[in-house]
Amino acid sequence: MKEKKISRRQFFKRAGLAAAGTGAVFYGPWKYNRVYASKTDKPILIGMTSDASGQFANSGASDRRGMMMAIDEFNKKGGVLGRKIDYMHIDTESNPATGSRVTERMITRNEVTFLIGALSSGVANAISQVAQKYGVVYMNSNSSSPTESGENCHRVKFVWDGNGTNFAKAAVKNAIEKVGNQWLLLTNDYVWGHNTSKSTRKLVNAFGGTIVDELLVPQGTRDFTSYLLKIQQIKPDVVAAAVAGDDSKVMRQQVAQMGMGKKPAWINNQQDWPDVYGLPIDNLFGVFGTTWYYDLDLPGVKEFVQRYRQMYPDTTMKAPGNVYYNGYMCTKELLSAVERAGTTNNLKVIKQLEGIKVSARDRMQHHDAYMGANHQMQQTVYLATANDEALWEKDKNAMFKILSNVAPSDVEDTDAMAVCKMESYAETPTYEG
Amino acid sequence: MADIGARIGRWVTVEMLIAFAVLVTAPFWIEAVGLYQYLGVEVLIWMIYALGFNLLLGYTGKPSFGHGAYFGIGAYAFGLAQHHVMTNIWLGIAFAILAAGVAGAMVATFISHRRGIYFALMTIAFGQVFWFTAVKWHAVTGGEDGLQNIPRPDVFSISLKENEALYYFALVFFCIVVIALWRLIHSPFGKVIKAIKQNEMRAGFIGYNVRLFKFLVFTISAGIAGLAGGLFAMAQGSAYPDVMSLQVSGLVVMMTLIGGGFVSFWGPVLGTIIFFVARDILGALTETWLLWYGLMFIVVVLFKPEGLAGIWQDLTRSRRSRKESVEASPLPSLRR
Amino acid sequence: MDFIIGLLPFIVNGLSLGLLFALIALGFMLIIGVMELINLAHGSLFALGAYLAMVVISPHVPWLGAFGSWYLGLPIVLRYVLAIVLAPALVAVVGMVLEVCLRPTYGKDPLYGLLLTFGAAMVLEESIRVVWGSAEQMLQVPPVLVGPFLFGGMIYSKYQFFASAFAIFIIVLVWLFLERTPYGAIIKAGAHDSEMVRALGINLTRLRLFVFGFGTALAAIAGIIMSPIWGLRPHVGVDAVIPAFLIITLGGVGSFWGAVVAGVLVGLAVGITAGFASEWSLLSMYLLLIAVVTIRARGLFGKKSILEA
Repeated sequence: MKEKKISRRQFFKRAGLAAAGTGAVFYGPWKYNRVYASKTDKPILIGMTSDASGQFANSGASDRRGMMMAIDEFNKKGGVLGRKIDYMHIDTESNPATGSRVTERMITRNEVTFLIGALSSGVANAISQVAQKYGVVYMNSNSSSPTESGENCHRVKFVWDGNGTNFAKAAVKNAIEKVGNQWLLLTNDYVWGHNTSKSTRKLVNAFGGTIVDELLVPQGTRDFTSYLLKIQQIKPDVVAAAVAGDDSKVMRQQVAQMGMGKKPAWINNQQDWPDVYGLPIDNLFGVFGTTWYYDLDLPGVKEFVQRYRQMYPDTTMKAPGNVYYNGYMCTKELLSAVERAGTTNNLKVIKQLEGIKVSARDRMQHHDAYMGANHQMQQTVYLATANDEALWEKDKNAMFKILSNVAPSDVEDTDAMAVCKMESYAETPTYEG
Repeated sequence: MADIGARIGRWVTVEMLIAFAVLVTAPFWIEAVGLYQYLGVEVLIWMIYALGFNLLLGYTGKPSFGHGAYFGIGAYAFGLAQHHVMTNIWLGIAFAILAAGVAGAMVATFISHRRGIYFALMTIAFGQVFWFTAVKWHAVTGGEDGLQNIPRPDVFSISLKENEALYYFALVFFCIVVIALWRLIHSPFGKVIKAIKQNEMRAGFIGYNVRLFKFLVFTISAGIAGLAGGLFAMAQGSAYPDVMSLQVSGLVVMMTLIGGGFVSFWGPVLGTIIFFVARDILGALTETWLLWYGLMFIVVVLFKPEGLAGIWQDLTRSRRSRKESVEASPLPSLRR
Repeated sequence: MDFIIGLLPFIVNGLSLGLLFALIALGFMLIIGVMELINLAHGSLFALGAYLAMVVISPHVPWLGAFGSWYLGLPIVLRYVLAIVLAPALVAVVGMVLEVCLRPTYGKDPLYGLLLTFGAAMVLEESIRVVWGSAEQMLQVPPVLVGPFLFGGMIYSKYQFFASAFAIFIIVLVWLFLERTPYGAIIKAGAHDSEMVRALGINLTRLRLFVFGFGTALAAIAGIIMSPIWGLRPHVGVDAVIPAFLIITLGGVGSFWGAVVAGVLVGLAVGITAGFASEWSLLSMYLLLIAVVTIRARGLFGKKSILEA
């Protein structure tokens, strides 16, 4: 992108400014209908917005590798609509303000066609606000906050990960029946934590359990021993933890040190693969959710893992995980939607993505998946736990044991669907890059 | 700043005219040099922030490592005013300045009699409290996800939705801040704060109420940070707690220093530009941008600790006037 | 009575936490006391220490060949002890290089030194990311130290108690060094008035080099001790810098016992609030700081010093 051709938009802007002077800037048509260049020779440019530093750096790298594999596969087929697919990446630093700036840059300076990538919900939300302003289609690949497809949903944004509520729905009923009804909530004291604990609380009450206490854990907590002592004093049957990011890594470490992973029973929310890969197995405890596992006994999974290993022979992560999977899947579905739409026009692509159904086979999951009205992919949720130590000793990749799979219709986040108020098509500027 | 003497009493200097001219034309050439309009808005906002900060750091010699708090409070105040009072830009800006100023005044009463390192460390503590409150107080601030959908209200029915428009709006404030700060620094008030910087105790013995001056400087500086924060809320359409964190608070210190805030009025301006442009370009080129960025800092400190403004002065000034500039400028005073 | 019994585990945990906080702040305190420099690279050096220790304990270097497999066959206790000695020594070398870089800033505003350490912090953190990747890592410790133990009907972590005991050991060691050795006396004098030290004919250049090396080695030790509790990732040091700042301010700049007492107080505040008003546990330390410093301007044990000029 070194050489900058003057696009039509800039030409008009400059001509306009030159004619009317600075004052003209303040007037003018404020609907951002932008057509950068839809000439067939210009590559489709994907802006990757996942983190490269900060607490999600590692997952961010996985996310991007997934996208790149999908892009690579389409390029080998000759691209999309006869256009090659290019990508660029700028670090969003796990910081919303940076996310905004990077998005502005990618759209106005690099003229990206689409945006993909998110780990932290704050950053995802910041990106989608800017994307919505310009009308750029944005795939939130891996941020699992219910707010992303709830109150912060946008017409241009599609969310591909299962969220806290989905996982809670999959886990709670079963755990009350099998383990006990005295529950304690261990909640990260921020928006995601509160949303997740709210839905857990509702479910626990609905299935006849009791919440005996809720301990709020400030973000950035590094001493979990106090909380673990408190839990010992309260003696609940089940601890439902909604602790994320670095805090969850620290918690894991201290739970393992105190050998408290077995008793009480822990229900953890989603366990991202890159966060645990390569660690000793006793770092995994309790039951946790995931949307995919590399060792699912389903057609296509083995080949997928094989392709991963071929493409990334040097990476330390020898098996792809859920973050990689989401990055891959959303990129693949986006590019397929472009193919079906026959154009990169944002509204047409959005309409192709809305309401899509993806067969279980294509998803490499147990159930068919479908796009919810709130733009969240409704997909199979798996409950898993740490693998048997002997099996893990044999193959250090085999960290999870999948306990069950739950159909997407059983775990729909109806609350998020109810609060999602999306911009209309008319309110969304047209964008084509 | 050797030529201050000749210019005292003037409202507008040649440097200002040059700076304003460059900035007024920026939207016309910023894309041609490979940048983008939004970056211009952000740079301008951080310039305002850094200029206000330098009143405290460069001119009074008091480092605050928690200044992000006031920037953040400004942003929240702007957003809350839009959401809960009425959608009006002037109201929002006034709220932003006022809220940050009041918060700054509150903190200043606690710390204006502190000196040296204790002053710095206390600013961190208060900064962290504000940051923590912003994250914690979900109902008001939206917590971690931030305060969202902050509008860019019209100015006299001129829409600010396009980044260029917001840029010019912010530029007006930039000019006001530059002129006001210049006047302030070259007023008797400015002489006193420079004296405080050189030797707080001596300034006290002469009979100045050192505490009051420090209080005022801190409050003014916080108010300017609030103004910048309010503009930032408009630029981003949101207010996030992250800008209040210690790490991001540190950035403004770095910008001011690397630009040469100690030796020049324009140091913070230069520093902000280099900071954003370097980060933007490095960030797009490489994933290990932090490494190169850190090395840049090290090189500047090793070879030209007076920063960009220092290099500029070396290039443009004769020996004689440099000596003068050393005497008249906001110079490091913590000599041992 | 029940309340007291319920409180007890949190006091125990708070104390142990406090000792660890003191350990984290120790190196920071030495550097700030003698050199009047806020070392923002403290956290990165803390992380570097832990990463280097990880390499010493379980190296994954194929070219070590036969030596490598022989080495990995050694008992882990031995390798762990070696790591605790070797890694801080290596970090001290890095610290000394940093000190040499800092020399042009002496005699100027201390903020220039701060700017340089800020740059160094970024370079170190990113270098760690480049060398070891950004994935979570694990510092292996001898199995005797791992696992739970019962005390008063409650489960505690063996490792945390080992860590606190180790912190006491290091604190005592540093204290003995400062109090009972001639070099310690010079450092203390340097913290009081470095000009006077120079006037007495002591080589200030060497003193600074040594103090910086010593301070960064302490940062590395803290990193090695903390990483089994906090985990190990490139930016883990960020969590160490803020408590270090806070403890120094609370205890009083340049005061050894100030740092120790402040560390324990902060540990107790965090530990006890976590048990009874969990959401305020992190804020409690800032409130403690503001409360104390409002009453005692220079912290608990701070003396008037050149730093306030």
